[in-house]
Amino acid sequence: MEFAELIKTPRADNVVLHRPFYLAVEGTLCLTGHHLIFSSRRQDNAEELWLLHSNIDSIEKRFVGSLGTIIIKCKDLRVIQLDIPGMEECLNIASSIEALSTLDSVTLMYPFFYRPMFEIVEDGWRSFLPDQEFELLSSVTDEWRMSCINKEYSVCPSYPSVVIVPKSIDDEALRKVAMFRHGNRFPVLSYYHKKNGMVMMRSSQPLTGTNGRRCKEDEKLINATLRPGKRGYIIDTRSLNVAQQARAKGGGFEQEAHYPQWRRIHKCIERFNILQESLIKLVEACNDQSHNMDRWLSKLEASNWLTHIKEILTAACLAAQCIDRASVLVHGTEGTDSTLQVTSLAQIILDPRCRTIRGFESLVVREWLQAGHPFQQRCAQSAYSNGKQKWEAPVFLLFLDCVWQILRQFPCSFEFNEQFLIMLFEHAYASQFGTFLGNNENDRSKLKLPQKTMSLWSWVNRTEELTKFQNPLYEANSLVIWPSVAPQSLQLWEGVFLRWNRPSKFLDEAHEEMINIIKYNKELQAKVNALRRQLAEMETDDRMQENL
Amino acid sequence: MLRSSQPLTGPNRKRCHEDEQLLGTALGEGQHGFVIDTRSAQAAKQARMTGGGTEPKSSYPQWRRLHRPLERGRPLQESFAKLVEACNDPAASMDRWLGRLESCRWLSHVKAALSTACLAAQCMDREEASVLVHGAEGTDTTLLVTALAQVILDPSCRTLLGFQGLLEREWIEAGHPFHLRCARSAYSHARLKQEAPLFLLFLDCVWQLGRQFPFSLEFNERLLLTLFDNAYASAYGTFLCNNEKERCLCKVKESTLSLWGWLNQPAERKKYLNPLYSPNALVIWPSVEPQSIQLWQGLFFRWIRSSQYLDEAWAEIQRLVDSS
Repeated sequence: MEFAELIKTPRADNVVLHRPFYLAVEGTLCLTGHHLIFSSRRQDNAEELWLLHSNIDSIEKRFVGSLGTIIIKCKDLRVIQLDIPGMEECLNIASSIEALSTLDSVTLMYPFFYRPMFEIVEDGWRSFLPDQEFELLSSVTDEWRMSCINKEYSVCPSYPSVVIVPKSIDDEALRKVAMFRHGNRFPVLSYYHKKNGMVMMRSSQPLTGTNGRRCKEDEKLINATLRPGKRGYIIDTRSLNVAQQARAKGGGFEQEAHYPQWRRIHKCIERFNILQESLIKLVEACNDQSHNMDRWLSKLEASNWLTHIKEILTAACLAAQCIDRASVLVHGTEGTDSTLQVTSLAQIILDPRCRTIRGFESLVVREWLQAGHPFQQRCAQSAYSNGKQKWEAPVFLLFLDCVWQILRQFPCSFEFNEQFLIMLFEHAYASQFGTFLGNNENDRSKLKLPQKTMSLWSWVNRTEELTKFQNPLYEANSLVIWPSVAPQSLQLWEGVFLRWNRPSKFLDEAHEEMINIIKYNKELQAKVNALRRQLAEMETDDRMQENL
Repeated sequence: MLRSSQPLTGPNRKRCHEDEQLLGTALGEGQHGFVIDTRSAQAAKQARMTGGGTEPKSSYPQWRRLHRPLERGRPLQESFAKLVEACNDPAASMDRWLGRLESCRWLSHVKAALSTACLAAQCMDREEASVLVHGAEGTDTTLLVTALAQVILDPSCRTLLGFQGLLEREWIEAGHPFHLRCARSAYSHARLKQEAPLFLLFLDCVWQLGRQFPFSLEFNERLLLTLFDNAYASAYGTFLCNNEKERCLCKVKESTLSLWGWLNQPAERKKYLNPLYSPNALVIWPSVEPQSIQLWQGLFFRWIRSSQYLDEAWAEIQRLVDSS
C-alpha cells in the first residue's frame, strides 16, 4: 500500500494556520505520508510547522460558506486550526488526514522511515542492556542470576529475553512458576536496595482460582528473597474485594496458608480503563473557557486525576517504606500497569541514581519498556480522540506526573528538569524514534526495531540536546526523598495540561535567565580558580627567587 | 483614576453640583469616563434606601457606570477562615480537599479582584478614559482595586520603594481601617465585628502577578508575607489605627517606629529583593483564567508543609545571583 493512495490532495495554498500563542498566518499546506507540513514565506521570517500524523488524535470539519475549517486536536494536547479555501479541497484534505492518522500497522509508522540528520555517537538501542544492569548488581550481591529461559519469548511473551531471578531457582522451576502467574509474568527482580540488601520484585496475579491452587516453585522463588527470620510484604494494587473477586475468573492472591512469611497489603490503584476517562475529563476542564472559578474547581475534582496521583504516590511510598525493613513483591492483575508505576516510583524515592538523567532513562527502559508495559495499546489514542477506546490509558503519563510532583517538592534532587518529562510524554504518544513502538521486547524484536529505527536515547543523550533538559539547581545527594502525599501538596501539572492555554513565555524566559546566571557563575568560578593557580605559581616563583 | 465613597443620593435623588464639577475636571472635552462600582447593581440600588446610591446618568452624563461586585466584610472573613481550615487538614482525601477549596471561594475572590483591577487599568490604558472607583464606604474594595490597578499599570509601583509608597498612599493614608479589619484573623472564635482580610486579598493578588511575571517585581514573596504578618501584629506603628486622624490623636508618628525604616536597612532590604528582577516599562496584564490563578501556598501552607527544600533552592538561586 502506498501512502500516495491515501492522499487525495497533497497540497493546498492560501491556507491560514491558527495555533496557540502565534498570530494567524497564511501559507501553504502539504501532506506527506507521515507529516502535515505548513509553510509560510511571510516577510522576513518563514514560519514552518511539521506535525506527525501519528500525533493527531481527532479532527473536526466545519464549513462557513465556501471556507472550510479543519480543527486538529493532537495527542500532546495542542489544538490547531486550518482555514482552507474551497469546500472540495477541504474535504479531501480532511479525509486524507483522517486516513493517514488512523493507520493501524506499526511498520507504516514514521520511525521506520526516519533518517536522522545528526551524527550518531551512541546507539540508544544498546545503551541500557540487561547485562550492564546485571553487572552493576553482581558487584554488590551474588544471590541473583540472569536467566535466558525467555530467549525466544516462549515462556512469557511480555517479558524481555533476559530476566534476573534468584540463584537458587533453576529454569525448570521458572517454567512452572510462569504457568502459575497471569500472562506468565513470574516474579522477577525489579530493584536491589544496597543499604540493607532487601529487594523489590514484581509479577502479575497468581492464578489461584476458586480451588485455591498452589505452586510450590512460586513459593520457593519469592521465599528465596527473604532474610532469615524476616517476613516479606506483598503489595497488591487491587482492593481486597477486587482481589477476592478475581478468583472467580481464575486469578486471585497469595493465600496466607501457602505464603506464611508474607504479609499482604492492599493499596488500591485504579484500573487502567478508568484512567483514560479521567484524562479526558481533565483535559476538557482545562479547555473550559467559561471563566468561572467554581466550575473549574469542581470539574478538576470530578476528573479525579489528582486522586489517582495521590493513590499512586501513596502506594509507591508504602513500597519504599517496606523495603526499608523487608523484601517486597508488587503485583496487580496483569502486572503491566499499576505494578510498574509503583516499582519505578519507589526507585525514584529510594535510589539517587534514578534521579540522574542516565539513571532515569535506564529506569524507564527497565521498568517500562523491557518490563512489557503495552505502549502501543496504551498510547494509541489520547484525550481528544473520538474513536472507540479499548486499551488506551495514560498510565505512563500518570507516572511522569508523579515524578514531576516529586521533582517539584525536591527541586535540587533531580538532574533533569520538567522539559525532560514533557518530552518523554510527547514521544510516548508520537515520535520519529522507535523506542516506544510495540508492546514489549518480543514485538520490538519481531519488528526489528533496533535495526530499522532510531532510538530516542541516541538523540537525547547528545550534548546539544541534553543541555535543554538539565536542571540547573541539581546537586547530587544520596538522600531517600519522601514526597508529601497530602492533597495540598499535589498540584496540577500545568506544564502539560495548561501548556497551550496560557503563554509560558515569561516563565520560560525566567528559566532561561536562571540558566544564564548559573552558566555565568560557573565561568566566573573557573576564572577564580585559574587566577588562584596563577597566584600560587607566582608565589612559589617569588620564593624561589628569594632563595637564590 | 479617582477614588471616593458612594454618593449620598438617597431615595430623593439628591444632587451636588460641586461633586459633578469635580468629576468634570477629570474629563477632557467630549471625553467619557467610567465609574467602577464595586457593588452589584442591585446592592447599589438598595443603598438608596439607606441614604446612599449611585451617580445617576442624568447628572453625570459623561460617565458610564460599570458594576463589578467584590466580596467584603463578613463573607470574606468566613471565606478566609474556611480556606485555612481546609489547608490544615492534610489527611483529607483529594476530593474533599478540592471540594472545600471550591466551596470556600477564596480563589473566586482573587479572580474577581484581579479582573476588576484589570478593568480599571484597561479603561485608562486602552480606552484612554478616566476612572472613578468606589464601593459603599470607599475604604475596602475601592482601595483593593485602585492599588492593584497601579501595580498593573505603573512600573514604579513594582519597585521595592515604589510599592511601599503605594501602600502608604492607597491603603494607610487612604484610610483603610486596619485596626478594625485586622483585629482578628482566621482562627478566632470571638464574635467577629468588622474584621475582613481585604489587605491579605490584595497581597494575594500581588503574589499572583509576581508569579505570572517573574521578572517584573523588584520584591519577592517574603516581603508580601512580612507585610501580612505586620498588618495583624507588629512591633511597628505603620499599620496601627484606622486612619490619619486617629494616628495623629494617638501620636503614632512620634511614639512608634516605622516598618519602612526597618525594612529599608541595607542588611534587611536584600532579603526582600527578587533576584530575577529586571526593570521594564511594561503594563503587565495578568491572566484571570481560573486555571491561571493558584493558591498562595507560601502563605496558606507556611506552617503546614516544610518548605525546607524549596527554601534551600531559593537560597541557592540567591547565592548564584549575588556572587555573579
